Amino acid sequence: MLLHRVQKPGRYVGGEVNAIRKSWGTTDIHICLAFPDVYDLGMSNFALAIFYELLNARPDVLAERAYLPAPDMIAQMRNAAIPLYTLESYRPVAAFDILAISTAYEQLYTNSLELLDLSGIPLRAADRDATHPLIVGGGHGTFNPEPVADFFDVFVIGEAEAVLPELIDTWRAHRHLPREAQLRALLDVPGLYVPCFYEASKESGALIPTDLAAPARILKRMLPTLPPTPIRQLIPNVEVTHNRAVVEIQRGCTRGCRFCQAGAITRPVRERPAAEIVESIAAILDATGYEEVALLSLSSADHSEIKPLLEALLDRFQGRHVSISLPSLRIESFSVDLADMLSQGRRSGFTFAPEAGSDALRRRINKDIATEDLLAVATEVFTRGWRTLKLYFMLGLPGETDEDIEAIIDLAHRVRRLGLDIGGRKTEIHVSVSTFVPKPHTTFQWAALADRETVERRQSLLRERLRGRGLRLSWNQYDSTRLEALLARGDRRLNAVVEAAWRNGARFDAWDEWRSLEAWERAFAETGFDVDAALYRPRAEDEPLPWDHLHSGIEKRFFLRDYRRSQAGELLDDCRDQCHACGILVNYPGMWTAEWECPEQEVGSRE
Amino acid sequence: MNCELRITDSQSPVTNPQSLRYRITFATQRTLAYVSVLELGKVWERSLRRAGMPLKYSQGYNPRPKLHFAAPLPVGCGSDADLLDVWLEVPVAPETMLAALADAVPPDLSVINVHTVPEDEAALSEQLVSAEYRVWLRDVPEVVVESVIVAFLDSDTLALAKRGRKYRGKTYDLRPLVQELRLEDAPAPWTGLWMRVRARPGATGRPDEVLKALDLTDSPRRCTRTRLILG
Repeated sequence: MLLHRVQKPGRYVGGEVNAIRKSWGTTDIHICLAFPDVYDLGMSNFALAIFYELLNARPDVLAERAYLPAPDMIAQMRNAAIPLYTLESYRPVAAFDILAISTAYEQLYTNSLELLDLSGIPLRAADRDATHPLIVGGGHGTFNPEPVADFFDVFVIGEAEAVLPELIDTWRAHRHLPREAQLRALLDVPGLYVPCFYEASKESGALIPTDLAAPARILKRMLPTLPPTPIRQLIPNVEVTHNRAVVEIQRGCTRGCRFCQAGAITRPVRERPAAEIVESIAAILDATGYEEVALLSLSSADHSEIKPLLEALLDRFQGRHVSISLPSLRIESFSVDLADMLSQGRRSGFTFAPEAGSDALRRRINKDIATEDLLAVATEVFTRGWRTLKLYFMLGLPGETDEDIEAIIDLAHRVRRLGLDIGGRKTEIHVSVSTFVPKPHTTFQWAALADRETVERRQSLLRERLRGRGLRLSWNQYDSTRLEALLARGDRRLNAVVEAAWRNGARFDAWDEWRSLEAWERAFAETGFDVDAALYRPRAEDEPLPWDHLHSGIEKRFFLRDYRRSQAGELLDDCRDQCHACGILVNYPGMWTAEWECPEQEVGSRE
Repeated sequence: MNCELRITDSQSPVTNPQSLRYRITFATQRTLAYVSVLELGKVWERSLRRAGMPLKYSQGYNPRPKLHFAAPLPVGCGSDADLLDVWLEVPVAPETMLAALADAVPPDLSVINVHTVPEDEAALSEQLVSAEYRVWLRDVPEVVVESVIVAFLDSDTLALAKRGRKYRGKTYDLRPLVQELRLEDAPAPWTGLWMRVRARPGATGRPDEVLKALDLTDSPRRCTRTRLILG
């Protein structure tokens, strides 16, 4: 082998505890679950962990894993003509029946092409037949998959736990047929989008079915209650990004931040009962030996049983040297209490995401926290002994002015002074400023991307003013934001651009050290694609959007009303207190369970 | 791989009911040859936790279990008989630990034996004097290997660059660290190499450095540490 020539070879050999090795010969359907980035990230992806256990639970299914090797290993493999293989049986990925590739975020798209090519599989669906694996995409990116629609056979819209079993059964019943007939049969599975049966309208770019059996609009699939927690979680032998056990305690978010795609497309909010969480963690710790458990959710403190849950966990696992981490805490003293309970004297860093500097702009994005309250919570954080506070902001939000940047600067300095007064000279404030990308299926989906001049001017304003002892600033390169926006918002014309960029060497678009913007610029020139026209034009309210045929369950008219509220600087309350009729309850009739945060029936909004 | 098992026992297993220090002799192969020593520490920590062993942890905000290896295994190298000392909070019969670990370790880790050692015995790393390695090289003719070995053994000194950034430009002499080096039988298409190198703090010979000196680094290889020799 060539493993002695590459960095961190342990990523390419498997051998993990809890890896599942089934017999190829006695299983009927062979599925490869692939994450198109390095092992270190892919092993930290919890969706894959869910599907790995779920699919392997079926006696007729064998599911194995593949990740995209790092560039040095890819070069070695290509040199030696070794195709991409799975980590369980070392079989070539191309030998599997179904290849499911995570489209969790846009920067994975060129990597997906690299993964197909390294597997020896033709890139375009049109060039493949039934001898090739069925290529399935899934993950948050599929809420606008048009930029890569030509490379996948089907996309799972929504929660794949609900769709994959039906996809497998339908495919199996038609496996002997040509690929086109297989795909036609898959049109019958709710929640599957088969892009070859749709065409972009020349005038509007909207996607229109070309086959009578293809639904005009595909409603996302979701589970009425959260799927069982994977218990026998994989334990990597080498260090990875998140090397810990995970339990999803809640899916979806009721807060309604207007920039947030994850919160919208994962509605309704479903909670896992505290008792189930405790039992799952006990079983996971026995099966894995992990010393850390992360409680996964978009807004941890919103779990209705969060405090009793943490008390139960601390009580049950006392003395077992288990640490519990709680991501995504809100800016409120209750969250500080929770963090305090868990830290047990250890004080690493505390993170807040005010997202905007001024009260007015925070109202526009529906992040309802006043500056004075924020300072009060920061005071509490420092008083209880934390010395590092991270503040996350976004730049380029709709309606943002230079005054809002002044407000970020002012806020950071006030927090820093508080920290120095209370915590002394060791206090550090890390200000992290990303650039806002208007994402599909959010209130801000009609907004334009802020232009380079504005963003870079505001970034340099921050750089000039946020310096000095105890202050650290980080920001995104505008070029990478622009690429993310293009891939997030693009339509079918992007396929040619993505392929050209990949042929020019674009890979690992999320990695500063490996990304090639030059490959993209050449691709724009070669394909004659007008990036500026695609990004800097706000969409008209009545204009079809390239993702209108995919339905998150939230109605477009709800987002539109909310967009107007934003422009008027109006807040929309947390919907667990008051239903705002986003559309979830009417689009999923009869699915309501007591684990939802929604009321049992839609309650008309106050308008 | 067919490998003869040679367990290092400079002292015979002692049974000391008072001691909470346990010495584990273990072997790693295949996938576990590619982990670093820090990662192997994690693998062991989690294996011991899965086995339900009452590990002794350090005090403080960031408690760590007390695990001491005899010597780090180079990345890419498996082992026939490596040594690890672990400390427990309460006594567990060595045979109980052995049985519990057998079900808890990853597929390419095997536990050969467990016994207690006196608490006050010197650290394994201080007792270690030499290590033996078997290296199999693929598609390299035996005559080539033989001639470079002869040249190596004939030389009095062999300067190699020190590893790590802070030693940039510095060299060390590999020659005195290599105590023995010779050809060994290996099945086709491999050519076998056997070496004993010093393994004292600050004077440790590494098989990959020896291969570098022999100009044999570019061939696919299998490396196994066959024996640790304690003083």
